[in-house]
Order: sequence, then structure tokens, then C-alpha cells
Amino acid sequence: MNVATAPIVAAAPLNAAPLLEIENYSGSFRARNGDLTPVLYNVSLQLKTGVITAVVGETGSGKTLVASSILGIQPATFVRTSGRILLGGVDLVSLDEKGLRKIRGGQISMVFQDARAALNPMFTVGRQLADVHQRLHGSGKAEAMEAAVDAIRRVHIPEPARRARQYPHEFSGGMAQRAMIAMAALICEPQLLILDEPTTGLDVTIQSEIMDLILELSRSRGLTTCLITHDLGVVAATCEEVVVMNAGRVVETGSAETIFTAAKDGYTRKLLAASQLGEMAA
Amino acid sequence: MRIGIGILAFYVAVAILSCFWTPYDPLQPGVGDSYSPPSWAFPLGTDRLGADMLSRMMTGARYDLGIAVVAVFIALVVGTTLGTVAGYYGGVVDTIAMRLVEMFEAFPGLLFAMLVVKAVGPGVLNVIVVLSFAGIPTYLRLARGEIRSRRSWQYAEAARMVGNRSWRVAFAHLLPNSAGPLLAYTSINAAFAALVTASLGFLGLGLDPNTPEWGNMIARGQDGVMTGEWWISFFPGLAILGMTGAFYLLGDAISDVTDPRRRR
Repeated sequence: MNVATAPIVAAAPLNAAPLLEIENYSGSFRARNGDLTPVLYNVSLQLKTGVITAVVGETGSGKTLVASSILGIQPATFVRTSGRILLGGVDLVSLDEKGLRKIRGGQISMVFQDARAALNPMFTVGRQLADVHQRLHGSGKAEAMEAAVDAIRRVHIPEPARRARQYPHEFSGGMAQRAMIAMAALICEPQLLILDEPTTGLDVTIQSEIMDLILELSRSRGLTTCLITHDLGVVAATCEEVVVMNAGRVVETGSAETIFTAAKDGYTRKLLAASQLGEMAA
Repeated sequence: MRIGIGILAFYVAVAILSCFWTPYDPLQPGVGDSYSPPSWAFPLGTDRLGADMLSRMMTGARYDLGIAVVAVFIALVVGTTLGTVAGYYGGVVDTIAMRLVEMFEAFPGLLFAMLVVKAVGPGVLNVIVVLSFAGIPTYLRLARGEIRSRRSWQYAEAARMVGNRSWRVAFAHLLPNSAGPLLAYTSINAAFAALVTASLGFLGLGLDPNTPEWGNMIARGQDGVMTGEWWISFFPGLAILGMTGAFYLLGDAISDVTDPRRRR
């Protein structure tokens, strides 16, 4: 299945209300001697309800840091110096650990780059999914395992019942990423799904399958999705909104069409030229 | 591994059997002649007081194995719990825990056990408490190192990301990944505990001198070694060697079994 044939429900309108707003978010890394090194400068962006938004930029541009700040799992040495992160009017930055725990998983969930490292090697994949289901939905053991197998089936992993009994090391990279997506999107049932470079390190064919799956799940469930990536090819094929980041700053924001055909910022044009997508889109 | 389990199963069976049946009363002197060599009537001979060595050996399994297993279990649970907390949360708790561990580790285990047993007096309970205490620092250090090195791994982050409480991330997600080295150490610790129990007995510090414990029995028989009554010290020594060896063999295999990646 490729993007063109995926059963896509119509994308949400781009004027939809924002689910999450980041306003003037700045922060620095604190060195051992107490010195602050600024890494994020007044980052402002919106993730509109039901829309797939891409955050693009090269390595070190701060995109992962922004995503982890949303969930409050940023590195311990990171210090916020200003700004707010609003989810439905609630400032996530002001929440304590208990408040953030309620948000994590149930309202916002995340898919990591290396799925095999994000799955616990000691437990079967099925059990890990079932555990999360039990925790978030208060289900019984058998019911949770049923939900886990069902989620594995819905991300197109063959023989889901057998696969659920296997350990992460018995999964290939692409398969593990599917399982991780099953956990983050189907078991957690969040309002916002953040995907941090979900296809990096996978074969090109597997990459496109994973993106198809993300697209299918996001559209069919009306999920607000934030895709963090440096792969503009992936963005062109799947996303409606694009946020371009460079050196800790948001340099350009707009619809995917605008960004790919009429980018205003010099860095964005450079990025497009490097990936040769600007010309393709034009 | 099978050899280790086999030998330990034999010891456990003997210890259980000794609760119900021994050829003679192990505490009864004069069931045979003093210093009878191994014979059909007394397969392992008799000691100076004429008590049956086989009966005493069987009862000894109960003491030595029981003390080792209980002491190791307590040390494992307490040491691992403290180590997990210190490793996961770090900070002041970690600093205090590690400095205390270093203080305790500066003492050799046997010397520490001797000093404390001498101070609090002999008895099974005291020996167990001392041995558990002596084992805690190593488990604490091991667990702390394992948890600390895995704290920022991605599956820990993923567990936090789905809203798990921090203690759950530490004990339910990280600790199972650290179980291999900890469980492998239990066998080394059990062997050490058995040796220290026997050593304390030998030095006359551990249990009551009349208790049929292997270390006591070696101590009682040491005079005989020079005059040809070798069996009184030899068989308890062999029993200790077998038990510690079995624990070591088992330990090597445990870390393989606990890790699904290495399970065959």
C-alpha cells in the first residue's frame, strides 16, 4: 500500500482550532559550572486539531527538544527561560509531575525514533501494550491483552496473536516501529500523537509503509499529529502544515503547499534545494 | 546449570528428610563407640562422643542451607530495594547510601561477621541477621549501578511517557532488566554465606557448639585429623565444598535464564 492508495479520510481544514499552542518558548542548557547556553529562542507554533503538522529542520535545530518539552521529559540540564505550552488552555509548563502524568499517554503520546530501544527487552510486546492499556483504561488483564492483540493486528503485523507473545528482539526494526505506533496511537488513544523521526534508520520501502500507516491512523481517527523529521520527502507526501526550525528558532510556518512552492525564508529554500523537493513541487 | 540444580536439590531433599528421619538421633551421644570409622552401621562413622556422623550431617544441611538461603534472600531484597532507589533518584539519597556502603565494604565480610556475632551472641537468628547485613552493601552497589546506567535508556523514557509513576519505572521496568547480575550474585553470596556460617562455627562463634552444623563439626573433628580419625572433619568439609560449588554453578546459569535474548 502506498500513500496514493491509502484509505484516507479527508484531511481536517487548515483553519481548524489549535489543540496545542507553544508561545515564545525559550530555554537553555545549564553547564556544570552554572553557565546557561541558550538553545531555543522564542519558539512559537500551533498544532491544529486533526491536522498533521511537520516540524522540520536539521539535526540540532531543537525540534526534538520542543517535542520532549511538551511531555515534560526534556533533559534534566534543560532550563526553560520563558514561554508557555498550552493544551486546551492549560499551560503544561506549569504542571507538576502528577499533572504531567495525567497528560502523558492518555492525552499526548509519543513514538520514538528507535522503536526497538523504546520497547522493554524483558517483556513480550503484547504484555507491554496490555500493561499500558490496563494503566490508562483500567481494563482487566484478559481484556487488555485482547486490546493489545487487536492493536497489533490494526497496524498490519501478521499473525498478531503469535507476535504478541514475542520479545522486542524478535521483531525487525519496521515491525517494532509498528508495535510502538500501535501503543502510542491505538492503545493510548491520545488527542495528540508526536512522532520523533519515526522512519529514520529504516529501509526506504519500510519507511513508506510506516508513513502510510501513520497517515491512515491519523486520518481515520482524526488524530492531531506532530511529525518531527528531517526528511522533506516524507513531509511532502503526508503533512498539511509545516514548521521549519533552524538553530533553535522557528524560521517559517505555513501550509505544506506554501512551504514547498513559495518558501520565503532563505534557510527553508536551502533545505528544499538540498532535498531537490522545491523544484519537484514547483 | 543442571549439575548445580541437581546438587542443590539433593541438599534440599536431605535437609527436608532430616526433619522427619535420621538413622539415629543426631544429638544423642553414645549411639556407637567413640571414633568409630565408617562402617555399615555408621556409614560416615561416629564422632568423639559416639554420635552418628550421618545423622548429624543430615541435620547440618538444614542449618547451613537454611541460614545461607534466608540470609541471601533478606540481603537481596533489602540491598536491591535500596540500590534501586539510590540509582534511580540519585542526589542526596544516593550519596549517603554509597558512602555507607563504602564504609561497610572497608571491613572484610568474615571479620565483620565475627565482630558482630561476638558482640550480639551466638544463635541462628543472629547469624542470619549478620550475614544478611554483610550481603546488603554488594547488592546495593550492584543494583544502584545497573539502574543508574539504564535510567536514561529509551524504554525507561517510553515508560515515563505513557504516564507511569517513577517508582513503577524503576521497579517494574528497569529492575527486571538488571535482574541477571543481581541473581547471579546471589549464588556467590550464598556460597559466601555458607562458608562464613561454617567458619563462625569452626571458630566457635556462630551457633551453639553442640549444634550439628558443618563448621562446628569440622572444628570438633580437627584434633582427629592428626591422629587418623579423618572422617569427622572430612565429610562436613566435603558437604560445604559441594554446596558452595553448586551455588557457583547455578549462578553462572542464572543470568542466561533471566534474559529473554539469551534464553534458548
